[in-house]
Parts: sequence; structure tokens; C-alpha cells
Amino acid sequence: MSVASWDIEFDGLIKRFGERTILNGISFRVARGEIIFILGTSGTGKSVLLKTLTGLLRADAGRVLVQGQDLTYLQEEAYLDVRRKCGMVFQHPALFDSLTIEENIAFGLQRHLGLSLEAARPRVRECLDLVHLDYDELAELLPAQISYGMQKRVSLARTLAVQPQILLFDEPTTGLDPVTTKQINRLILELSRKLQTTSMVVSHDMDCALEIADRIIVLDQGRIIEQGRVDEVKKSPVPLVQDFLAEALAGHAETTSSDSGGGRP
Amino acid sequence: MISSSLSQGFRVSLQFSALAARVVLGLAQPIRWRSVFQQIHFIANESLSIILFCVCAAAMVTIIEASFHMKLVIQNDSMVPGFASMLILRELGAVVTALLVTSRAGAGMAAEIGSMKVTEQIDALRMLGLNPIQFLVVPRFIACVAAGAMLTVVANMVCLIAAMGVSVIKLGYTTGTYMELTRPFIEPMDLLFSTIKGAAFGAAIPLFSCFSGFNCREGAEGVGLATTQAVVSSSVAIIIIDFFLTFIFSYYY
Repeated sequence: MSVASWDIEFDGLIKRFGERTILNGISFRVARGEIIFILGTSGTGKSVLLKTLTGLLRADAGRVLVQGQDLTYLQEEAYLDVRRKCGMVFQHPALFDSLTIEENIAFGLQRHLGLSLEAARPRVRECLDLVHLDYDELAELLPAQISYGMQKRVSLARTLAVQPQILLFDEPTTGLDPVTTKQINRLILELSRKLQTTSMVVSHDMDCALEIADRIIVLDQGRIIEQGRVDEVKKSPVPLVQDFLAEALAGHAETTSSDSGGGRP
Repeated sequence: MISSSLSQGFRVSLQFSALAARVVLGLAQPIRWRSVFQQIHFIANESLSIILFCVCAAAMVTIIEASFHMKLVIQNDSMVPGFASMLILRELGAVVTALLVTSRAGAGMAAEIGSMKVTEQIDALRMLGLNPIQFLVVPRFIACVAAGAMLTVVANMVCLIAAMGVSVIKLGYTTGTYMELTRPFIEPMDLLFSTIKGAAFGAAIPLFSCFSGFNCREGAEGVGLATTQAVVSSSVAIIIIDFFLTFIFSYYY
């Protein structure tokens, strides 16, 4: 694969918080259009990895490149362009409480493209359509007036509004019920294919990884312990990966049994 | 242990100074005036009734206590109106107002920004290309300086009227006598200095409160701690600023 086809590149990334090393020499690349899944238990630095990519956190050593641009010494102001390219969906919906759903989605458009709320309206409608939400029903509501699952979708719509080329998902299904989790997973897959974006999803949900990922990277204690295509990772002998797979299979079995009416006659 | 606390204190001081410097630099950038007026409404208008109630009570207590002690010591309370008015104008009005603004608006700012930090709204702002200090702190800073000055002027006026009222009712002065006895003790400069104090306290409150909010730890406990820290640090800052300003103003009396 040529250099130009890598959208994201981490090279020896190290991030520390005080004495604790959260990321310890992370190196990998993400190809254009690929859905990469970063899997790991809580506190292994998955979210930190995404935040160093967007400059919300600064790496202590190593390099981060987005579409060939080295972000190592970029000043805060210079990140604007990178942040427009990389849309991030946070673990929390992170919607602004005092703004309506429409204003939340138009917010980035107003800032990045200088559009008025009226001028941004068609794009807001289009983005809500993309995440299967109804503009007429939701536009005037405040975030607190809709469900958590809907807030997550609105957050995704807000990210999509500025047409990012790279989508970053931080624990997109945390706190959601299994049905909404499935819907969000499908949405990530659908949007990545439809909009031809590169996607990086961070989660501890192996089920989700198996469903949507092109490639999986498993992190443990700040290091990559396994990586490869889904079928390769499924055969991994690494105990943590086996644990994740067993957990996913157990979850599947539970869902199947409850779907089919479950229980003994 | 001591050196680690010192280095921690030094680091926090540096971070606070950086925030304050960025707020001051932010004043030269385009200002969100709509947000400034919303904040003035939140700080001044919504705090007015509680501030007036508390400063009036403080003024009345001051008059009654001063009269009691003066009568006890010098068997005469004719200087009470003058001393009390001077105390109200120079200290009570501005300090009590600022402490009440801290406990109401300052705590609110810390909780709001802390919640935004915990729920990643601050990160979302940065992702959308906004500088959170310019967007959140600068409007609060301008609003709090303006509201601090305005509330102090109003509080002083109402305080003086309350002091006069209690003197008439409890101590038996007429309003004419009260004003006559007050006039030699206070001057327009007192009102000006008091307003400057109100504005200075108003500047400290959003800086300390927003700083606590930005450094909020995860979870509801983190937001609670940030709020407490905001009220404590702002209150201490008000007392320290008051000392230095009183010291400086003493050269002009």
C-alpha cells in the first residue's frame, strides 16, 4: 500500500500521566476507508489514543500523522484543520445542554463554514436523516428531552455535519441497551461505507468488533498485544483475546436463547 | 512530602496564571456579547434579592452592635451612624456582596464547567474549533466584573438605607440627624473605591471558579469537589484582594 493511502499513522506513541505510562510505544497505520477497531479492557489507554490523534491530549513521545501530516509539533490553533478532517463521537453524547438539537448539529457548520442557522438547516436535516432521526420531530427539542440512544445519534449527526474524512468513535455503545447497540453498530458500518470514511472505533465490546471491523487491534497496559483481520484475531492464542471472544460468544448465546423464547419446556 | 506539595502548588499556580493570562488576552478577541448579557442576568439579576436581604441584615446588625458597645464604653452612640456608614461603604457592601456572588454564581460556574468537562462537552467544543476559554470564561469574566461593580453600588445604597432605617426605629434618630452625623465620615471617594473593589472581586470569582471547573475530576463527586474548591478559593481570594486594595486605598483617604 502506498504511503498516501494511509489516513492515520501512529509511530512509537508514548503518553504518560504523571508516573503512569498509559500508552507505551504504540505503532500502527490505518488505511483509507478502513474500519479499525481498538479493543481493550478499561483503563488501557484506548480513549487516550483517540485524543492524542485529535490533539485533545499531547503525546509525550512518538509521532502521529493524519493523511501524511505530522501533528507532533502542531500548535492548538493549527489543529482546527485536523479536527475538521477527524470527526469524533465521544463516549458521552457531549451535546450542549442549552442548545436545541438543530443548534447542536449546526454548531460546527456555523464555526467551520461560517453558515447561519437558516443556511445550515438543509445540512442538519440531511445529517439527521443519515442517523435515521426525524428532523421535524426533534429539531426544536433540547438534548435532555430525548433518550440517551437518540442523543448518541444526534452526537454522530453533529460530527457528520462538517463532512469529516475520518470518523473516530469513543465507546459508541457504552450505556446502551442491546437493541440500540446493534442499531449503532449498523449505523457505523453503513456510514463508513456510504460516506467512504476511515473509521477508528474504540471499545471493549468484542461483539461489536466482530460485526463491523475490518481489522482489530487489542491493547493491554498501553501496548498492542494482538492485531490483524477479524478472522486472524479470532484464531489468536493470546489469553486476553480469548477472554474477549468467549465473552462475545456467551453474549451471543444469551441473545439467541432469549430471541428463541429460551428456557426449558 | 513538603517538596511534592510545593511543586504541586507551584504547578497549579502556573496553570491558574496561564488561564488568567489567556482570559485577559481573550478580551482583545471578538466577544460573545449575547452570552455576556445572559451571564449578567444570571449573576446580577438573579442574585440581587438574596444579596440585598443579606447586606441589609448585616448592616442592621452592625448598627445595633455598634450602638450597644459604644453606649457601654463611652456612654454615647452619636458616632454610630458615621462609623457604620463608613464601614458599609468601605467594606461590608463590597465584601458581603462578593462572598454571596461566589457562593451562588461562582459555585454555579464551577459546577457547569465541571459537568461540561466530565461529559466531554469541553472536548467537543475544541473538536468544533472553539477555544473553551474564549467561549466560556471570557463572557463570564466580563459579566462578573460588570455585575460585581453594579451589585456593589446597589448593595451599598440599600445597606445605607437599611442602616438609617434601623437607626431611626431602634436608636431614635431622625433621618435628618442621621444624615447630619454621617456626612463628616463618608466621601464620594468611598463609593468609587467600593465599586473598584466590587469589580476586582468580580474579576476573581470567574477565574477561580472556571479554573476549578476545568480541573474537575470524573464523576459526580468530582463536580462536587470542584464546586467546593471554587467557593473556597474564590472566598479566600476575595479576602486577600480586599486586604491589598484597602491597603492601597488607605494612601488616598
